[in-house]
Amino acid sequence: MFGEVRAVDDLSVAIPEGAIGLVGPNGAGKTTFLRLLLGLVRPTTGTAKVLGHNIAEGVPVRERIGYMPEHDCLIPDMTGVGLVTYMGRVSGLDANTAISRAHDVLQFVGVEEERYRKIAEYSTGMKQKVKLAQAMVHDPQLYIFDEPTTGLDPRGRTEMLDLVRVIARSPGRNVVLSSHLLPDVETICKYIVILDGGHQIAAGELSQLLTGSADRLRIDVRGDREAFARRLLEAGMEADATPSGVHVARKPGVEAAIFQTAKALGVEVRYMGREIRSLEEFFLELVQRNEARGA
Amino acid sequence: MPLLGRRHRLRAIIVTGLRREFKRPATLVATAVGVGLVLVSSIVIVLFLGAFLPGQTRDLSFFFVPASNGAILFFVTLMASVVGSALIADDLNSMALTLYLSRPITHADYLIAKAAILAPLISMIAMLPLVLTPFVAALLGLFAWTIALEAIGLSVLLGLLFTAFYTSVTLLLSSLTTRKSYAAAGVFAVTFGLTIPADILASSIGNSALLYVSPWEDYLALARAAFGASGNQLDWPWALAILLVATVVASLFTYLRMKAVEVVSG
Repeated sequence: MFGEVRAVDDLSVAIPEGAIGLVGPNGAGKTTFLRLLLGLVRPTTGTAKVLGHNIAEGVPVRERIGYMPEHDCLIPDMTGVGLVTYMGRVSGLDANTAISRAHDVLQFVGVEEERYRKIAEYSTGMKQKVKLAQAMVHDPQLYIFDEPTTGLDPRGRTEMLDLVRVIARSPGRNVVLSSHLLPDVETICKYIVILDGGHQIAAGELSQLLTGSADRLRIDVRGDREAFARRLLEAGMEADATPSGVHVARKPGVEAAIFQTAKALGVEVRYMGREIRSLEEFFLELVQRNEARGA
Repeated sequence: MPLLGRRHRLRAIIVTGLRREFKRPATLVATAVGVGLVLVSSIVIVLFLGAFLPGQTRDLSFFFVPASNGAILFFVTLMASVVGSALIADDLNSMALTLYLSRPITHADYLIAKAAILAPLISMIAMLPLVLTPFVAALLGLFAWTIALEAIGLSVLLGLLFTAFYTSVTLLLSSLTTRKSYAAAGVFAVTFGLTIPADILASSIGNSALLYVSPWEDYLALARAAFGASGNQLDWPWALAILLVATVVASLFTYLRMKAVEVVSG
C-alpha cells in the first residue's frame, strides 16, 4: 500500500525456474512487484520469498539477483570495464575476480572493443549492453530484466533478446522479464504472470494460456477472411475474424461447413485446429475482461 | 560465486570514490592549498609567537589561535562544496543510485561509504594542521611535550566534530538535488550565510546569543573552552549540543531522503 493506493493486492504466485514474463498495463503493479523482489519495499501484509530467502532480509536476496533497470543508470565518466568491475566489487567480488568477470561479461555482451572508453561516449545499444553486463558480473541466480530492449533499433533488439535467451537457458539461472513488448516476452519466456490493477489476472505456462478453449477452432485461410467469416455466420456458425485467423465455435458438422464455405468462396484453408492466440490477443482480452468486471 | 561481506563492499565504494576524487584537479588543489595554507600559517604563528602575539603565554591556550584560523572555515567549506556536493547529487542525476541499491548493500551502507569518502578529505583541513602544529612546536622546543600532546588530543576531538558536522550537512544538501552546483551553493550558504549575518547582527544589536546560529562561532566557543582561551561569548555546552544535534538531524534526514528516492521506476 502507498497511502490509499494498493499498488499490489492479493498477489499470490509461485514462480517456477526458468524464464518468466511479467506483463501488465501501466499502473498494473509490475514496478512495485520488482521492488518487492529486490527487497527495496516491504509488503504491507503477507510474505514473499525469493530463492528461499524472505524478501524482508534485503541484502541476502540482492546477493542472488542481477537487476537490469529500464532507465539510464550508468556512471558516465567511468569506462565500461571500470563500471562493471566496480559493481562486481560492490556486489562482494574480490578485486581480481571482479576485473576478470567484468572482461568476460563485456565480451559476452559484445562490448569488447569499447570497454576502455567512457560510458558517456557509448551509443544507446552499448549502454544497454553494459547495463546487462553489470547485472551479470556477480553471476546471480536470478536476473530481473526491466524493459531490456528500450531504445534499441531492430538489430540491437534482436541482439539483446539473443543474450537474454542464452542467459535464460543457462542451467541454474532464472529470468524475470518485465516488458510491454509482448512479442519479446513470447519468444523468451515459458511462464508468464499478468498483472492489472495490482492483481494477478493470469499466470501459467505460456503454451497452455495461449491455447484457447477446446470448444473453438482457429482457421487460417488464404483469401478474403472477412467474407469467409461472414459466410460461416450466415450458415449458423459462431465465427469471428481476427488478425490471427477466423475463430469458430465447435459444433457438429462445423468442419464440413468450413470446407464447403471455403470451396464456395474460393479460399484456401491453410490451417484448421485448436485455437491458439498470440500473447497480445490473450493479454488484451484479459485486460478488457478485467476492466468490464471492474466497471 | 562466493561473495565477500559488507566491509569489503563498503571499502570498494570508499576506495573507488577516493580514487576518483583524487583524479580531479579541483580536489587536489583544494586539498593541497587548504592543508598547506592552514598548516603553514599555523606554524608561522608558532615560530613568531612573540612578534605576532605579544603577551601570549606558551601554554595550552595558545593553540586556540591556529584552531581559530579562518582559512580552516574557508577551505573546509570549499572542500565540502567541491567534493561533497557531488557525492550523492551525481548519483541521483545519473540514477546510478539504482545500481548501488540493487546491490547487496543497504541505504545506510551507501551513506556510510559516501561519508567515509568526504570525511577524510575534510579532516585533512579541519584536523591535520591542528594536529601537526603542536607536534612541530614541541619538536622545535617551543612548547613542552605535555602541552603539545594535550593540544593534539583536543585538536583531534574538535577536528572530528567539525568534520562530522560538515560531512553530514553536505551529504544532506547533496541528497536534496540532482545538481551538484545547487548543493555546493547550499554549503556556502550554511557557512557564510549563517556566520556573517550572525556576526553582524550580534555586534550591532549587542546580543551574543545570535552567534549560536553560526556553526563556526559554535566551533570557536568549543575551541576556546577546550584550550582554555578567554573571551568566550557563548556557553560551550550549548554550542556543543547545537553542533551535535545538527549533525545527527542532518544524518537522519539524509537517510530518510535516500529511503524515499525511487530507485526502480516504471
